Amino acid sequence: MHISDGILKPEWVFFWFAISAIFVALGLRIINKRIKDEPVYLPRIALLGAVVFVISVWHIPVPVTGSSSHPVGTPMASIIIGPFAAVVISAIALFFQSFVAHGGLTTIGANTFSMGIVGTFGGYFVYRLLKNISPLWFSAGMAGLVGSILTYMTTALQLALSLNPGNVMHYWKLYSLGFIPTQLPLAFAEFAFTAYVIKYIYETSSMDKINTSCPLDRFTKTALLLMFSIISTIAIGAYVGYLDGANMAGTDGTVEANAAPLASPDGIGIRLMALLGEPLGFAMVGITGGLFTGYFLSDLRRKN
Amino acid sequence: MLEWLSGDPLNGAIITITFFISVIIGKYIRMKRSASGFLGISIDQRIKLFVLFFLIISITLMTHWYIPIGVSLVCILISIIANNFWDYSRKLVFPFVLSLFIIVIQGLTYGSTMVDIGIISIYKEGFEYGFLIFSRVFAATSLIILMLSTTCETEILDAMRWYRIPTSLIDISSLMIRYIKAFSTESKKMKKAQESRCGFSRSCGYMEKMHNIATISGALITRAFTRAEQVYRAMISRGWKHDQGSFSGHRSLNHSDMLLGFALSAGIIILLGIDMIL
Repeated sequence: MHISDGILKPEWVFFWFAISAIFVALGLRIINKRIKDEPVYLPRIALLGAVVFVISVWHIPVPVTGSSSHPVGTPMASIIIGPFAAVVISAIALFFQSFVAHGGLTTIGANTFSMGIVGTFGGYFVYRLLKNISPLWFSAGMAGLVGSILTYMTTALQLALSLNPGNVMHYWKLYSLGFIPTQLPLAFAEFAFTAYVIKYIYETSSMDKINTSCPLDRFTKTALLLMFSIISTIAIGAYVGYLDGANMAGTDGTVEANAAPLASPDGIGIRLMALLGEPLGFAMVGITGGLFTGYFLSDLRRKN
Repeated sequence: MLEWLSGDPLNGAIITITFFISVIIGKYIRMKRSASGFLGISIDQRIKLFVLFFLIISITLMTHWYIPIGVSLVCILISIIANNFWDYSRKLVFPFVLSLFIIVIQGLTYGSTMVDIGIISIYKEGFEYGFLIFSRVFAATSLIILMLSTTCETEILDAMRWYRIPTSLIDISSLMIRYIKAFSTESKKMKKAQESRCGFSRSCGYMEKMHNIATISGALITRAFTRAEQVYRAMISRGWKHDQGSFSGHRSLNHSDMLLGFALSAGIIILLGIDMIL
């Protein structure tokens, strides 16, 4: 289920747009590179985009609830065309889905983040992890299962962050619980669907069409790996702390107290945060710091 | 009996002139409307796309439910006039369910003032907040549905090209539109073919059903890959180029389009202002 227009607050709309735009831009860069070498790559990814669109509006039976629902489709797409291209096609699929009132125009950023980025990369990493130690159908199925669960957990988090910023963890849990009756059986349906589809494609000798190579340089791969490791550590640490009774205040207070005890409360940082809101303020800091580091890092490494 | 002829002629003259001029204008509007099919169709798609985005963002910023509900009612009215109400209401089901889910969670968990409604108690603040979100979702979705009922996908892509959206995105989108339609038709055909060969039996278990659906999807994907590549090669051989840059044949915005854009944007700003004053 995608988030409709009018639900997220404007600051969150822009925040998710900014994050998703970075991944879409990276995906477009990779796609353009591939198209130069292999022109037929364009219809291939467009076709997979159509597949993602159709299967995510194509209802499949959910046995426990006795109803029907739809799979996400992005983990399967990421196995076939790679995760970055899958982010781009999921953004386009979501754009078209917004015109059938499935999602929204202003929430494309948020929906792309949950379905396109978290669902795709989550599923893809699981597939890569299990590929060498389990049968192909199982690793593909697990990618579908994990991608689907992660997508809906992210949607629940996005709702909690925007609608109930004062008590995010409590509402994240509530929204996730609300999604469980349909989405948990759906995730198992996605497991079976992805497993069978990938197995079929493999068995019909069309595996040469499957290209999961991720044409990224070592620097980008290391940076992405670091990013996911740190995010996972923060998320797991915060959740463990929450279970232990902590208030999910994060590390900002500790950083403020230890790193900058003499910082002025009327400083430009504080004023910017008040003006932009914390998420956008932190995003600005992250973007500025990242751009600066990325730009000068190669110079520093060369000197060393 | 004829005293009205001997009295002050001013009122009579005014009513006669206005009546006949209105008759002429009415006939002209009717002619124009039947020529274009529906008023919404004659508005430039670039203006529609901009106004739609601006209006949805504004609705998201509104803090009272009155204006979003007003916008929704106007949309319902337009859909009835345009004979589109069934399609409009059918598409509203998904967002409607999601917003109801939010009303329920907010109403049952958020706030401090309890209100008894029969067998359950809800929080007043949570219900009000949930209803505000419901009204926003209703209005924004209604606007999008109306937009699509008066604009086809290719026009929207043309407008996006004009707004300098990366060409790769537009190219993938254009191909996707073709494939989505072909894919949906083809999957229905294959499903029927499989049913006629005793597939999809009601006695099939869940895993068997999933296996059937996935087999169709897998077959469709592998077949479509080959076909799409052949079609694409044919397109290239007939002069189509990827990454062609801006669409040179696009007409520039004329004065009346720009004026309409300004007027509608001003209207949206006024609505935002009213919402702030309320």
